[in-house]
Amino acid sequence: MTTLPGPPPALADPDLPHPLEQLLGDPLDPDNPLSYDAFLAADERGDLLPAGRALLDAFGLGAEFVPRALGGRLRQADELARVLRPLFRRDGSLGLGHGAINLIASAPVWSAGSPGQRGLLADLLLAGGQTAGAYTELASGHDLVASKVKAARQGRGWSLSGRKEVINNVTRAHAVTVLARTGEQPGSRSHSLFLLDMDSVPRERLRFLPRFRTSGLRAIHLGGVEFDGCPLPESALIGDEGGALESVLRAFQVTKAVLSGATLGSLDTQLRTVTAFATERRLYGRPVSELPHARAALTGAFIDLLIADCLSTTVCRALHVLPRMTSLYAPAAKYLVPLLTQEAMDSLAVVLGARSFLREGAQGIFQKHLRDLPVGSLAHSGATVCQATIIPQLPRPARRSWFVTPPAPSELFRIDAPLDDLDFQRLAITAAADDGLLAVLPDAAEQLRSDPVLGPLCGRLTDSLRVLRDDCLALTPRSATPLAEPWGFELAERYALLAAAAACLGVWQHNRDRPDPFLRDTAWLAAALRRLTVRLGHGPGPDVDTRAVFQELTERCERNTAFDLIGRRLA
Amino acid sequence: MTSSAPEHDRLTPPDPQELSDWLRERVAYFVECPVTDIATDVKLVEYGLDSLYALTLCGDIEDTFGIPVSATLAWDYPTIDAIVGLLAAPRQS
Repeated sequence: MTTLPGPPPALADPDLPHPLEQLLGDPLDPDNPLSYDAFLAADERGDLLPAGRALLDAFGLGAEFVPRALGGRLRQADELARVLRPLFRRDGSLGLGHGAINLIASAPVWSAGSPGQRGLLADLLLAGGQTAGAYTELASGHDLVASKVKAARQGRGWSLSGRKEVINNVTRAHAVTVLARTGEQPGSRSHSLFLLDMDSVPRERLRFLPRFRTSGLRAIHLGGVEFDGCPLPESALIGDEGGALESVLRAFQVTKAVLSGATLGSLDTQLRTVTAFATERRLYGRPVSELPHARAALTGAFIDLLIADCLSTTVCRALHVLPRMTSLYAPAAKYLVPLLTQEAMDSLAVVLGARSFLREGAQGIFQKHLRDLPVGSLAHSGATVCQATIIPQLPRPARRSWFVTPPAPSELFRIDAPLDDLDFQRLAITAAADDGLLAVLPDAAEQLRSDPVLGPLCGRLTDSLRVLRDDCLALTPRSATPLAEPWGFELAERYALLAAAAACLGVWQHNRDRPDPFLRDTAWLAAALRRLTVRLGHGPGPDVDTRAVFQELTERCERNTAFDLIGRRLA
Repeated sequence: MTSSAPEHDRLTPPDPQELSDWLRERVAYFVECPVTDIATDVKLVEYGLDSLYALTLCGDIEDTFGIPVSATLAWDYPTIDAIVGLLAAPRQS
């Protein structure tokens, strides 16, 4: 298959909705079968909205997960996150359970699969098939090395036994990626991945487990599967025997980065719902949005969304530009974005008051997204797993890279610069001493030293990086493992916050020739850096004028454009 | 405190004894026990070195001894003796 250059992805006309958003239509139109109310009703029933599934199948969403070299539309991770964002704006269950799950299931095959497996999976996804990733077991969670499902050599193939639980989409999947133990030795070479073609495995050798019901994302189908000596051909093995951990460590960098960016759609809906409410509702003789507390909550949520987009977009682009570092960056994004989102939603809930928990009416969608978020955040690497992945990787850049490595090239941050197609093979499974993202901080501090607002803020960030470096160097080896004390987890949080600040600075520095005056201006940047320095434990610092940020928020709400960096028109 | 060994910038294989001593010290530091308790023929995983930490150990070897090392070295060569055998051998691929 030849690859066509095509137009650079981010250059699509921002005045036109994304085609998928266009198909989803106006979420507030009661006659739209894909309205918020329709998704709410489906959620109450605990089932994916059939019209939503049909729309994704008609759109051919599966092609978004297939690399371009295999006939699909996947080329850039940041672009994929933006394609999925309209889905998460409506319904996380559909976005994950009939959307992103296919990336989670297929990424290890793109990373390590044989040409035959890649072709099979590509054909299946391009034809609208569904997939599932059976990696976890309830007893061992994300401690994948402790997984017990076993594949034993049998003749010229394998025999699979044991139970995989809490597996999204498994009963509907046409292909399932399974992680299984293939060696008795303790350590990291005793697990392998298998690609099961569900049309050809003998069904009498597997049994689907009853569905697990959930508090949020009620419509997703979390199931399980029990294998009873299920025979697999030799060709089912993905990559090398004993190679599962390596493949998964590569593949999950992509899934973590893309999911962080995709799920921002949900915060967009929350902020839009509450901004509209606060603008219309009057209290004490004025709109709620003019009350300082409410205005601060709305502005803060908008800033947090922009911070989260800077971080997730940069990390997605780093998969292409700095693939030696994304084993550190991807868990930083997957840790921080849900945290920022949760806190923003909580403060928006205060503005909404009693309507934040009503399950119907104009703001009914809010409580659904609020309930969905904790479930969605845990799906595929929760906060603790991400922190535990970050901690052991910190001492090396602390020792060799911070204050030494030069800043990353501008293409990392230029949101409209096309990148080479995503190449899973280039992703390193542990971070190099080449932290070009954090290197933005001391560099920006130098450049912005004379700026009365940004100068002091960058100074604080550089101070925090220096302290983090000293703390990381003092980290004992044992505290750099999942057995770390809470102290180690706090270092991971500080790293993620500094990465977010560096991403904001990089995005601002390298997009100043774009037409959008808001992105060029420093108002959002100063507000973002201030919020991040406060999270890092600094005092409130220089006064930051957020009036322009609030004005942008209300204008985007009126114009019906997205609250993210690109600010594309919505349906 | 990072490591007691001096940092080198060299492409020649390290001295086997020096590498072995350094690895024993790292493992002892990790498991918080006297270095004399660390045997060179016991698998690192049995001392509790988990998968991710084993990956970072390779970065430490690279930085300390100035030789490029595959990230999965400690997965594939699971004892100190095995690592020394690979890295300190006069010729390796």
